[in-house]
Amino acid sequence: MHELSIACEIVEQVINSATSHRATKVKQVTLQIGRLTHTNPEQLSFCFKVISEGSIAEDADFIVEMVPLRLECECGYEGTMNTSQIRESSELKSELLAYTAAMDCPSCGKPAHIIGGRELIIKSIEIETEDEDLTEDR
Amino acid sequence: MLMHIIHMEYDVFKANDKIAEKNRTNLDKHQVFSVNIMGAIGSGKTTLIEEAIKNLKGKYRIAVIAGDVIAEMDASRFRKLGVPTIPVNTGKECHLDAKLLEKALNEIDLENTDILIIENVGNLICPVDFKLGEHLRIVIVSVTEGDDIILKHPMIFKTSELAIINKVDIAYAVDCNTKKMQEDILSLNPDVPVILTSKHDFKSLENWINFIELSFKKNVEK
Repeated sequence: MHELSIACEIVEQVINSATSHRATKVKQVTLQIGRLTHTNPEQLSFCFKVISEGSIAEDADFIVEMVPLRLECECGYEGTMNTSQIRESSELKSELLAYTAAMDCPSCGKPAHIIGGRELIIKSIEIETEDEDLTEDR
Repeated sequence: MLMHIIHMEYDVFKANDKIAEKNRTNLDKHQVFSVNIMGAIGSGKTTLIEEAIKNLKGKYRIAVIAGDVIAEMDASRFRKLGVPTIPVNTGKECHLDAKLLEKALNEIDLENTDILIIENVGNLICPVDFKLGEHLRIVIVSVTEGDDIILKHPMIFKTSELAIINKVDIAYAVDCNTKKMQEDILSLNPDVPVILTSKHDFKSLENWINFIELSFKKNVEK
């Protein structure tokens, strides 16, 4: 369970970014979590709620978009895995394992490199500001 | 009142990776070869590290970073062998990260170190997403964890460069099929070397110790 420390970092980054844009309130936080990361979105959301209490990010909607696995192969293939490859034996029930088991290139069958699905990105935040100036991105 | 959307695109793991890269540069600058040893609680990480230290400390200058919730216990075992050891208490945290290693590296005399052994917190899940800047990632499991332990934790075996199955001398007693464990590891990571070890079989320990030494030599040649 390291969702707490990850949530701490998220809250810190979100508040830093929000205050540098003179925000008075953070309304929404959108995250992208790779399917292969060992991070539980519900726990993360709970930790975010607890840590952000009393800050401008309190009560922000916490949106999680799951990022599917992406593969790259030396044969030139780049894209998602072939879902028909997921082995369905009783031992391979867990989603993570199913993904890991399906890491052969759908095109040539050789072991492929993972290029997506291991990220944890604070994609964007929605903030409220009081002044009239348009806040610039980043 | 105005609403704005700010595109942050901040990757929490990449932020860790960046510090890991800095650690790696620091280690390379001082020609230190570093090994990240991961594995479950009670898999024998500390014992196997002790054996490696005993056999390699005559030839190489070894230092150890012992990461644990309470790190002093393992650290004192390494210090008894006469190698500089830095305990890193992670407190409630379940893994070492690049920032913790960065801090620990400051306390090590890198100029006078050839091999740095980093013992991660006993855990097969959390260390996977956090690179440290290490040269070699090793995972240790033991037969007492049950022979389905590999498939339950695929990512750590997928991302390691050596897998060790330890305590094989008691496999029969705990009803564990080591052949299945070996096959499971190779099904997840066909190129990874797998070494079977037992504390009571020095020949098996030699394979493990030689692997560290060979990897060190390969890195020097680079």
